[in-house]
Order: sequence, then C-alpha cells, then structure tokens
Amino acid sequence: MQEQETSKGKKEINGFLPFYTNAFDRVFIGVVILIGIHLLWLRFMEPALPIEAATVISLVIGYIVVRRG
Amino acid sequence: MRNPRTGWLLLSPTLIILLLFGFAPFLYVLFVGFNQWNVFSADDGLVFNGLDNFRRLVFDDDFLHSVGLTARFAIFAIGSEVVLGFVLAQMLTRNFPGKSLFRIIHTLPLMVAPIAVGAIWRLLVIPGFGPVPFFLDRWFDLKYQIGSYPDQALWTSVIMDVWHWTPFVTLTMLAGLSAIPKEPVEQARVDGANRFQVFWYVTLPFLRPVLLTTVFIRIMDAIRTVDEVWMLAGGGPGTRFTGIYIWRVVFPRTDYGYGSSISLITLYLTIVLCWLLFIAISGRRKGEVE
Amino acid sequence: MTISFRQRAWRLFVTYGFWIFTTIVTLLPIWWMFVVSMRSRVELFGRPNLSLSRFFVENYTNVLTDSTFQRYMTNSVVVSTSNALLVMVLALLATYALSRYKLTGRDNIFFWLITNRMAPPAAFLLPLYIMFTRTFRLGDWTLYDTQIGLILLYCVFNLPFAIWLLKGVIDGIPIELDDAAMIDGAGLWGVLRHVIVPLAAPGLAVTGILSWVFAWNEYLFAANLTSVQARTITTGLAEFVTVTGTNWGELAAMSMLTLIPSAIIVILAQRYIVMGLTFGAVKE
Repeated sequence: MQEQETSKGKKEINGFLPFYTNAFDRVFIGVVILIGIHLLWLRFMEPALPIEAATVISLVIGYIVVRRG
Repeated sequence: MRNPRTGWLLLSPTLIILLLFGFAPFLYVLFVGFNQWNVFSADDGLVFNGLDNFRRLVFDDDFLHSVGLTARFAIFAIGSEVVLGFVLAQMLTRNFPGKSLFRIIHTLPLMVAPIAVGAIWRLLVIPGFGPVPFFLDRWFDLKYQIGSYPDQALWTSVIMDVWHWTPFVTLTMLAGLSAIPKEPVEQARVDGANRFQVFWYVTLPFLRPVLLTTVFIRIMDAIRTVDEVWMLAGGGPGTRFTGIYIWRVVFPRTDYGYGSSISLITLYLTIVLCWLLFIAISGRRKGEVE
Repeated sequence: MTISFRQRAWRLFVTYGFWIFTTIVTLLPIWWMFVVSMRSRVELFGRPNLSLSRFFVENYTNVLTDSTFQRYMTNSVVVSTSNALLVMVLALLATYALSRYKLTGRDNIFFWLITNRMAPPAAFLLPLYIMFTRTFRLGDWTLYDTQIGLILLYCVFNLPFAIWLLKGVIDGIPIELDDAAMIDGAGLWGVLRHVIVPLAAPGLAVTGILSWVFAWNEYLFAANLTSVQARTITTGLAEFVTVTGTNWGELAAMSMLTLIPSAIIVILAQRYIVMGLTFGAVKE
C-alpha cells in the first residue's frame, strides 16, 4: 500500500499518541485541544479563573503534544 | 523523473479554486466570529467583542440542544443506512433475474434533489393532505403531526434521510463487496466457519476501508443538511439541527457575528470527528501489520 | 452441493419478496409525487387517495411552457454539465499529482481538501455573497448571477469528493505502467491520456455523474447567489412554495421534471457506478 510507505518517513514520530503523526498532525491536535479547553473553560470555569488560565494550560499541553506526541 | 514541481503544478488549479471559494470565506467567517455584527442594522458596524460570542454560545441552550439533535439524527440515520445498505448490497451480490432493474429502482432516490426530497416528504406528511397521517390515524389510531410533536418530526427526518441516502451506501458497499477476493471466504467456509464468523472475520475486515469512508462522507453531509429538512418541516421543533439553527440566526435574526461563531464551532466538531475517522481509515494506528 | 427444488423455490420467494417490498418503499414517495402532479388544485384536498384517477397534464404543460422554467432548466443543464466536466479534469490532475508525486505533506493535503465540504452553508453565504458582488468585478461585470460563478463555486464541494473517489482508483493503477509508458517516450500528457484515463474510466465516469447530480441538485448557493439570469431549476422549485402560495400540483410536476434527467443518466451509467465507487477497495 502506498500510504504506508510515506507515513513511514523519517518525520513520523512514534510518541505517546495512539497513531503515527507528523508535525502538522500534532500542531492540529494542539489547536483542537486549545479550542476544546477554551470552550469548556468558558462554560464551567470562567467565574473561578479568568480565561487566560485556559490559554496557559492549553499552550502547555499543546507544547507537550507537539514535542512528544 | 517525477519532479515535485510538476505535481504542485497539476494540483494548483484545484488548490486555487478551493482557496478562493472555500478558504477565503472561511477566513472571513473566522474574523466575523469574533465580532458583534448585525448585518442589516442601521448603524453599520462590526464591533470586536472578543470571546463574547463564544461565551454566549456555550450557554445557549438552543444551540446545545441543536447539537444533540444533530447527533441523534446523524447516529440513527447513518446507523440504519449502513445496516440497510449492507443487507441490500449483500442481496445484490446474488444473481437472480431482474436484478439490475431492482438496482436501478433502488438508486432512484439518490438522484432526487434534496429540495425535492423535502417537498415530496412534505406532501406525504402534511396533515389533511398527505396519506401518511391519514392512514396512521385510520389504521393505528395514531395522531401524527410533525408540526406539533418534535419526536415525530425528528423520526420523519431520519426516515427521509434513510430513504434518500441508503442507495448511496448500498452502491459503495456493493462496490466494496465485489472487490473482496473469493479465496479467503471459501477457505474460511472449508475450515468450518459459520456464516456469521465468515462475515465478522473475513468480510468485515476487507470492507473496513469502504465502510469507514462511506460513514465519513455521510457524517459530513448529514451534519450540514439544511434544505431537505427545512423543506420538510420549515425548521419546526424537533428538526432544529445545527445547520438550520445557524440559518435561523443568520437570516431571520440577522445576527451575523453570532451565526459565524456557531458555524465555526460546528465546523470544529465536524473536522475533529472526521479527522479521527480519517486516521482510522488510513490505518495509521499503532500495532497494525506494517 | 445439491439444493432441493423446494429450497430453491423458497430462496427465490424470499429474494423477490424482499425486493418487491424494497421497491414499494422506494417508489411510494415518488409515486405519490407523480399522483399529486396529476391532480388539479381542487382534487388535492379531501381524502388522500394513492391511486391515479386520471391524467391531468395541465400542471406539466403549465410548467413546461413557462419561459422562466425553460431558462432555469437551460441554466441547470449548462451549470451542472460544465461543472462536472471541470471537476473531472481538475480532479484527475490533482489526484494524479497526489498519487504519483512525493509532495510535502500529501496525506494532510488529502484530508484538508475534503474539509471544504464540511462547512455549514448558511454562514458561508455572506462572505460568498460579498465576494460575488464586490470582490470579483470587471467594470460592471460581477460573478453574481452568472453561470460561471456557480460552476466555480460548486467545485468547492464537488472537487474534494471527486478526489476522494479517484484516489483509490488511481492508486490501484500500478505505477510500473506509468514508468513503462515514460520509457517509451510518453510525456506527462501521454501517460495521462494513454494509461491513466483508459484504466480509470469507470472511476472517472462515476465522478462525473455524481458531480453532475450534486450540481444539478444544489439549492442554497444557487438560491442566494443568483437573481434572474442564472437561476437553476431547484431554486425555481422552491419558489413555488414561497411565492405562489404553494401550488402543490405544479410543484410536484416540476419535481418530477427535475428528477427525469438525473434518472436517465443514472440508468444509462448504472454499470460504471458500481465499478467506480470502490474508494480504493481494489488495491492489490
């Protein structure tokens, strides 16, 4: 199969995510998590902590995902 | 010999069209999503209001309800379509006289325009006009009025969608089934597998890519369904799917900023769901045969 | 294996019973539309009756002789045919590129192409409207209310779908065939014309047919991005509901008329549809 050849390139990282990802995929996952956390934050955590906290948290998670995912 | 530049050249007309008519509007919607903008209001003004649209959105019960409804609609409709489509495709792999006639008849609904599908089904279910409420009332003593009962409206739209899109699933399944090599199936039979085992261990793995791709396409289209359901129920209770909810926010209420932010979130949910399916299709999961 | 006569009869009975039932369910709504289209306004209300009482063709003649309807029909034919041809050509080139060239991030391109089809249409109408009326203009000419505008716009949801369909088909053509043709001195166009197109013909046919049907059936964009000149048949259909106080008979007649062209195409191309819709299941 052709896809598997390419998805085996050297840029693919075998990190903690349950599938092979390239850099673009991990940035995408990071953005998805960022948006998700912000929405949930707006709904549930806003009165307690301002939205900036969500940004910080998701940036940290995003960084981990991009580097190690 | 294969210069990537040629490849990009071949790809470029597609990319240009999609960037112009797909991505550019998206950027615009993204921009407006963070603004307060009433398109037709007297004071013409986009007012930047940061996350306010989204703050409103996560507490908007109508919106959350519409997401739930869309999910129910998609799950029930697509689930039935896959099962029915598979059964029909399985029936079509046999040979019997008149097979192609039945196949053509079964393909017909796919060709009806969504707006016409909505019109047809509206004709079927309008009280005092269509046969469905009349005979249900007469034979089963069942009051059927999609305008008054949200559940009935939801089920009607599910059935309508099944009627409209099962042929598509049947065709893809049929193509998938006819591509399955014969030897493994026969081998399994010889080894004493019963019908269910053959289906589960041989047919299904072969069918998996086709199945997932079909589900992918159907999910994508089911979430953005507007015209059919709009025509059927006019956006009445029980059919306020997300697409229709956006429509109502944008057009009658002209609350364009808010409508944009809802679209963005809907798009977000769709993309995440489809991306996961895509990963499953392209077989990039770990632990699989390499 | 020997199957007794009774078993065979039973199997036939089940098969036909099943298919006759399916056919009835499939055709009932279409039949009802046909029945409605054969009735006058007065006959429609009253006790719902599923049988055809008489041939009342006035609904059809009314619609067919209407010059507006004729214009809508022409527009629809032009728009969907050009769109289907354009999509077939562009999708073939794009898929060939994605399948044969080592492009950076081609798996990602492949997925992100299809996200174009996911956008909820309602909110995207306004930017498109602005683009059509203001951004793309040459003097007095804008894309708004032109056939070419619709043709290009329909590519947004047809092209990704077409590329998805063709990807499996073209991946299934061994790359050695390309190489052999190239060694024989064929250029890129030679390979495309003499190797890819003949082998991918069923897939291309399905792509064209489905693009044609999707374009023919599209409503929302056509309704909002055209006004008089480029209106298509589906918008005409919807106008019956809002403007004329819902003349159900003519609406049904028009629905029947919109169904006929796509039905004919599908019947003619029935064989290719199944051959081409494999989504890459025929690898190996």
